[in-house]
Amino acid sequence: MEYIVKTSNLSKHFGKEVAVEGLNMNIKKGDIYGFLGPNGAGKTTTIRMLLGLMKPASGSIHIFGQDIKQHRKNILARVGSLVENPSYYPHLTAYENLEALRKIIGVPKKRIYEVVETVRLTEVADKKVKGFSLGMKQRLGIAMSLLNQPQLLILDEPMNGLDPSGIIEIRELIKRLPEEFGITVLVSSHLLSEIDQMATTVGIVTKGKMIFQDSIEAMRTLAGHTISIQVNHAEQAWRLLLAKGMKVEHENDFITLQESSNEMVAETVRLLVQANLSIYRVEEEKRSLEDIFLSMTREDSAV
Amino acid sequence: MISMMQTDFLKIKRKGFWFLTFLGPIGVVALQMVNYGVRKEYLLQQSENDWLYYLQNITAFTPLALVLGIAIFTSFMASIENETNAWKQLIALPVSKMTVYLSKFTMLACLLFISSILLMLFTLGFGVFLSFDEAIPWLELVKYSFYPYFAALPVLALQLWIATVSKNQGIPITTGIFGVIFAYSAHIIPDWMIWKWPSLMNQWDEPLINVLLGLGVGCLLYVVGMLDFTRRDVL
Repeated sequence: MEYIVKTSNLSKHFGKEVAVEGLNMNIKKGDIYGFLGPNGAGKTTTIRMLLGLMKPASGSIHIFGQDIKQHRKNILARVGSLVENPSYYPHLTAYENLEALRKIIGVPKKRIYEVVETVRLTEVADKKVKGFSLGMKQRLGIAMSLLNQPQLLILDEPMNGLDPSGIIEIRELIKRLPEEFGITVLVSSHLLSEIDQMATTVGIVTKGKMIFQDSIEAMRTLAGHTISIQVNHAEQAWRLLLAKGMKVEHENDFITLQESSNEMVAETVRLLVQANLSIYRVEEEKRSLEDIFLSMTREDSAV
Repeated sequence: MISMMQTDFLKIKRKGFWFLTFLGPIGVVALQMVNYGVRKEYLLQQSENDWLYYLQNITAFTPLALVLGIAIFTSFMASIENETNAWKQLIALPVSKMTVYLSKFTMLACLLFISSILLMLFTLGFGVFLSFDEAIPWLELVKYSFYPYFAALPVLALQLWIATVSKNQGIPITTGIFGVIFAYSAHIIPDWMIWKWPSLMNQWDEPLINVLLGLGVGCLLYVVGMLDFTRRDVL
């Protein structure tokens, strides 16, 4: 398979401190790749290496199938990025900030109006960025990253400092990009809930190592789930099911099934009904992704 | 490269760079306005050639203004990029780091060159106003306006290097202040110190040596600074 981004055994250390170690990242075309990890896990360092801001200590990076060492300019011409806090020149207007970039990357002027429209900053385009709210600055940063019509967009913690409506807006924007413009997106975050809501593929990094990399569905499957049933006589139901050799637990009015295949649920309900027990509720309880994320990052490598 | 420079000139808008470009030469000439305003008769008695004497008076302050201007410009320019760590965005663009560095250097060199042109014009203007007896010494005028500029290029290259690679702008400002002190003490510091060169003084009494040294060492320091800049990781 052809990957847009492919790193092999990527490592980087600062002095003795290891920031990234043996990282293999694979991003497919059209993916929204959620790059997850706690603060200080090596996300930003990895992204800086992808953008050629830092040189890897060892390992290689291929973007669009080209080695970044030899084709840095070529690759960067097709990449848009927003690394950590947006960079801007506060004494210039939003328009001038974009113009400063536009001159370097050489796209037509109308592109500025397009990206300003995309992030909805048209009305304040002629105001100095100094007076912008954090959310507006963040949106300006995204506008800057879109200016060169990138095929790969790298966003590092793009939700930082945004209010809820801003978060939703940016998230919707990110979700639109692959569909409408065919852009592949790499978005990093330390918040799983964010990634969960937009990513198609997830990479989880902790202490500089990739500990999980697969589709979001695969991760959800890992989440597993249990079925809990509320009945009128929980203890009686529990004994009944135990007697049938099922793995069940009971607590207060609830009995909990460890296995949750359709047949098992159907079988359980049938048994309970036949025993004349009243079933009030049958609920599915998901182990939250948050829990898995935490247990993964805590144990270093759970999978 | 040209577009990179256009961008650099756009970035210095409203930051007082142009104001400083004008202020430097105006300040240097203004000092002589005061000098000649207060004691013109006395000064005219000091020399056989009043025009040359006037030019020498001007030149006493040109190196100070230059070295001070370089220190201010370089760290000011670096602070524009540092303010929101715009380096990381700049370097992630499809441009080489060498271009980025060259563009900064060229822009500052341009501003200082404009300053030197203005210095020449203001010097000429006030000189004509003073209506000395001698004819205008054009060659000397041009020499005294531009020789210090070329002789100051090593200082520019050094300060730019320090300013771009320092996270803490206190460092370039400190070296800048020392530079100004050295430039002020030009007559007592040894010939090899780059801060002496803009004063055009040397043991052979040949200003052209300073110009050539300035160009040569300026290029050398520029290349060293640029290579160091490209080698570094952007944080």
